[in-house]
Amino acid sequence: MIRFDNVTKSYKNLRPALDDISLEIQKGEFVFLVGSSGSGKTTFLKLLLREEVPDAGTVWVAGRDIGELSQWRVPYLRRNLGCIFQDFRLLPNKTVTENVAFALEVIGRPRTVVRTQVAQVLDLVGLGEKGDRMPHELSGGEQQRVAVARAFVNRPLVLLADEPTGNLDPATTQGIMKLLDRINRTGTTVVMATHDVGIVDTMRRRVIQLDQGRLVRDQARGVYGFGDDMTVSSRGVPAVPVAGAGGGRAYDMAGQPESGRVAAVRARRGVR
Amino acid sequence: MAVSFEYVAKETVTNLWRNRMMTLAAVLTVAVSLSLVGTALLLRQAVNRQIGQWSNNVSLQIFLDAGASQPQVASVRSMIDQTPQITRCTYLDHAQSYAQAKQVLAGSPTAIAALTPATTPTVFKCQLTSPGDAATVAATFNSGVPGVYRATSPSQSIRVMQQVTNVLQLILLVIAIVLLVSSLVLILNAIRMAIFARRREVGVMKLVGATNWFIRVPFMLEGLVQGVLGALAAVVIVLLSNVGVSYLIRHYKVSVLGSAVLPPHDLVVTELVVVLIGVIVGVAGSSVAVRRFLDV
Repeated sequence: MIRFDNVTKSYKNLRPALDDISLEIQKGEFVFLVGSSGSGKTTFLKLLLREEVPDAGTVWVAGRDIGELSQWRVPYLRRNLGCIFQDFRLLPNKTVTENVAFALEVIGRPRTVVRTQVAQVLDLVGLGEKGDRMPHELSGGEQQRVAVARAFVNRPLVLLADEPTGNLDPATTQGIMKLLDRINRTGTTVVMATHDVGIVDTMRRRVIQLDQGRLVRDQARGVYGFGDDMTVSSRGVPAVPVAGAGGGRAYDMAGQPESGRVAAVRARRGVR
Repeated sequence: MAVSFEYVAKETVTNLWRNRMMTLAAVLTVAVSLSLVGTALLLRQAVNRQIGQWSNNVSLQIFLDAGASQPQVASVRSMIDQTPQITRCTYLDHAQSYAQAKQVLAGSPTAIAALTPATTPTVFKCQLTSPGDAATVAATFNSGVPGVYRATSPSQSIRVMQQVTNVLQLILLVIAIVLLVSSLVLILNAIRMAIFARRREVGVMKLVGATNWFIRVPFMLEGLVQGVLGALAAVVIVLLSNVGVSYLIRHYKVSVLGSAVLPPHDLVVTELVVVLIGVIVGVAGSSVAVRRFLDV
């Protein structure tokens, strides 16, 4: 579904935001993208959306090299990628229903399709009763549900989430994560950048950790682990460094096999 | 993908209304500048027609002394007959000449009052084989022929008049172009503000995969509407001023300017040109704004 081949991206006058990243994400996976601020998570998502193009390497989405896409095809790529953000990005002058319908209207879906799809997706996110409310009348969690509905209403192949729970309290966060999990179960690939140690450790999904633009860990059923600024994982489970991998930064849970994919990646990069 | 007409119309009207002060400024500037363009075009056509009219009828007028004797008139007539460049001549005696003077001077009663048939010079109105000879022929008759007061070739005065209208037209066009540029900038700025006001929507549209043209079209159309509205106002202004001038010419029976009243065909062409310029200004302004400020 998603593949990065030796992708490097730098902005002006800075060290690379992403440095020689290679990884693959299968259809239907749920992936956490973790790492401290400035580690390259957002750049990773922007490359997928083709808001940015890599300096080197290739990004594949749904079997297509998106660097090869001509500019006018980029919108069609984005129709396959739903997006949610920490700040929701709802339109304040439109109702919940209108906000969700907007996503379909502007890609030219006929009105009958819009009506049925919007009603369905609002039921899915649990806001079937609140379609006529304005965003400012809703709680933060409800607003994020509207954003999820808008991202998912067109049934994208991939849902990208950039710290979707950053503004939410723990209880609300759980609700959103349940929702994302339900969406993932429909076969939608979910890639979520997050700082939230709790949810990563509870969900036990694949974890990709970036540090200063480098891929330092790719672990199936992983935990948040510890970056340079953390000494223990939040749950207090002792983590064991994988011998020799990634300059000692990669960790694996005791008793859990290291992701086969990261091994493959290492092989490709000649890291032992 | 077909851009829904309903959506585009709704968006455009909403934008125009939200931005109405800028829209008004842009539309008025377009209207004023295009009125000047239209006026300049009509003036040029009117002057050209009128000049054509005059030069067809008469190329040379030989005024005789008011007290010229019969033999002097006869000798001037024979001199005219011997001049090969002159094809035809009509002689206006005192009474006819006075009648014509009254018509030409209709606007200034004091000048008429100063004239009597006896003091009005008689005149030969002549046509030449080619208007270009007018100056040389006039010079022959001005070289002290007895009884001749003065020979004038209207083409000289026409040339002066042409130069005056050329200058006038140039001034009008320069003002019009300056105003057109400022209306273009105003439209550009109006669209830029509309884009800024809708940056959230534009962001979401890009995110969910609206095509670039889908995002652009409402803004471009907004500029087009501003240009066309201004042009339509200019069309009305130009038509009204044309009606006004025609009415004045007819009302005061200024028959020498009779040909300056334009036929409908010329008017329609001019108005179409005005509308076309309005369309161009609107589309150009909004295209630049969309290209520079709408990052899609």
